[in-house]
Amino acid sequence: MASVSFRNLEKAYGALRIVKSINLEIADREFVVLVGPSGCGKSTTLRMLAGLESISGGDVYIGDKLVNHLPPRERDIAMVFQDYALYPHKTVFENMAFSLKVRGIPTAEIGPRVQDAAEMLGIAHLLDRKPGQLSGGQRQRVAMGRAIVRRPQIFLFDEPLSNLDAKLRGQVRAEIKKLHQAIGTTILYVTHDQVEAMTLADRIVILRSGDIEQVGTPDEVYNNPNSVFVGGFVGAPAMNFIKAKLERDTLHFETGDHLILPSAQAQDVESYHGREMIVGIRPEHFSVGPAAADALNGRVQVVEPLGSDTLVHLSFGSSVLVVRMAPDAHPAVGETLSIGVQPCRVHLFDPTTERSLRRTPLSAAKAA
Amino acid sequence: MTAQPNREGSKSSFTRFLDLSETKLAALLLAPAAILLVLIVVYPVGRLIWTSFFNLSLTSGMPASFAGFENYGLLLKDPIFWQTTKNTLLITVVTVPGALLLGIALALMANLPFERKWPVRLSLLIPWALPLSFAGLIFAWFFHSEYGVVNDVLRRFGLKGIIWFNSEEWAMTAICLTIIWKTSSFMALIILAGLQTIPRSLYEAADVDGAGRVRQFFEITLPLLKPSIIIALIFRTITALQTFDIPYTMTRGGPGSSTATLAMYIHQNTVDFLDLGYGSALAVVMFLLSMAVTMVYLRFIRSTR
Ligand SMILES: Nc1ncnc2c1ncn2[C@@H]1O[C@H](COP(=O)(O)OP(=O)(O)OP(=O)(O)O)[C@@H](O)[C@H]1O
Ligand SMILES: [Mg+2]
Repeated sequence: MASVSFRNLEKAYGALRIVKSINLEIADREFVVLVGPSGCGKSTTLRMLAGLESISGGDVYIGDKLVNHLPPRERDIAMVFQDYALYPHKTVFENMAFSLKVRGIPTAEIGPRVQDAAEMLGIAHLLDRKPGQLSGGQRQRVAMGRAIVRRPQIFLFDEPLSNLDAKLRGQVRAEIKKLHQAIGTTILYVTHDQVEAMTLADRIVILRSGDIEQVGTPDEVYNNPNSVFVGGFVGAPAMNFIKAKLERDTLHFETGDHLILPSAQAQDVESYHGREMIVGIRPEHFSVGPAAADALNGRVQVVEPLGSDTLVHLSFGSSVLVVRMAPDAHPAVGETLSIGVQPCRVHLFDPTTERSLRRTPLSAAKAA
Repeated sequence: MTAQPNREGSKSSFTRFLDLSETKLAALLLAPAAILLVLIVVYPVGRLIWTSFFNLSLTSGMPASFAGFENYGLLLKDPIFWQTTKNTLLITVVTVPGALLLGIALALMANLPFERKWPVRLSLLIPWALPLSFAGLIFAWFFHSEYGVVNDVLRRFGLKGIIWFNSEEWAMTAICLTIIWKTSSFMALIILAGLQTIPRSLYEAADVDGAGRVRQFFEITLPLLKPSIIIALIFRTITALQTFDIPYTMTRGGPGSSTATLAMYIHQNTVDFLDLGYGSALAVVMFLLSMAVTMVYLRFIRSTR
């Protein structure tokens, strides 16, 4: 097992910079999820760690060892590919045993190791099959099995669940988490699905066009997104963003509604007095009840009952607010709704840099 | 229902059509293909076999007469038949594996990540696109004892030039080399197509698993190429059994009949001697050889599935 460290890691294709000076320390046994929109360089970063992609600049360390120029086989990593990359002509057993065989591990030892790993993943009864005779979920498990028999220092996952249906995805996600708790190997996991990121990660790294936008625990990135991008990326449905003008401690919206900020937050943004700013509010942080003093008034456009709760789209000035409500709420379309906001849950962003203006981080406990 | 008699009527005729038993429908749908097959394959082959049972020599001036297995009896006692069959099999046994190995090497080369792929692919295509007899003529010139480039190279390395077409062995060697050159590009094209269906991630997985290039070739590339290789082998073997143009243009079968093939002997009997009965019997033998080879390969494919 080992730590990983990226120091000013870069990747460029000609003049095109795909990964721009990434610095990241991953602790031993940590589960880090790399998340971001399509094309932001997640796979490239992962593949540079694997040794499948050359490095244009900076250094990669595994433990204390500089691995920039080591081929993949000398990095002691195992990888689960998005398309699983199982050897189609080999049986499940042979697929899992291949890396052990290549490394000259005695046959007597290979059998039990493959068997153990297969039992752990519930695929022991499939060992004689070829990949073509397996379901998608089973193939996914074989791919993981092939990685864990190796007992590598680091596991790399590149969108391992994206070929599974929603239900199976949830199931395998839980299994990956269990696996990590059982064997504790360092994991770097790439996905563009923020739910996977939130549920699996010890720490989430949010990438945006080759740059790290924010690093933090799921809690931190959810409660304290440091930019509009992160606020919008983490959490589903996405955070609502509306423009408002700040007058001392009060936010004035284009609809005429206003919101008074708690004093700590008002202090953070003192210098924005008289200016317009971006306000971010998560759908789940509205409250619907007896009209509060500072409430936002919007007209119901769409109602989406989800069973567990109901999403309501309100037109609010020139923007639309998505509000999460209790499942028994049945607002009528066209009705005007008055919704309250937990002021300490309001995120404020600079209108030009789109950076968060919060100085005092909000902890989950404090907000509750 | 009675309000729409028209619709009802057309519907019932349509369902009647669908009510055909499945086998009848299958027969109906297969009929055009079957008829075509009969016209272009079964009839000519049948006709060939039929003719082989006749004395039908256009030079004898005699009408065709049924001869039973007489042509086949003659053939078994005909030393030139045995010689040309042996030559044909020799050419097959040497040039098919030769072209396969060279073809695999060429395909692997063409599959390298070149900046520009088309010049490589084009140079692969050229030998394939050349007419066979043209290749034969060019190589006859290459192997010319005085002016040929091959002897020139040999002499530059201090070796003695070879009078290629005066010796049975060297003439056969020259022919085999030419055939290998000419046909390896076809092998390479089929194998290249096969190579391109192997996902890159398999090699990446093997890299991570720790397998080196050689191991990857034998454990991934070769097994996954097997279907392409077998298809290429079937085609190549059948055309090898029918080898005609290259020996015909290079040596005319000489010295003696030492480089003549079965196809050349058939040609000689039918076109030069106009002995259609005997020529047909020879052709039937060649047909049976080809069938036998195809069967062996197909059995092999099935056993490895
Ligand atoms: N060989 C290449 N030449 C030029 N650009 C490339 C090359 N390979 C990848 N890219 C670019 O690099 C960027 C990052 O690619 P990468 O595969 O890392 O994205 P990603 O974050 O994994 O996206 P996804 O979620 O879609 O898998 C993309 O914009 C892609 O177009
Ligand atoms: Mg990717």
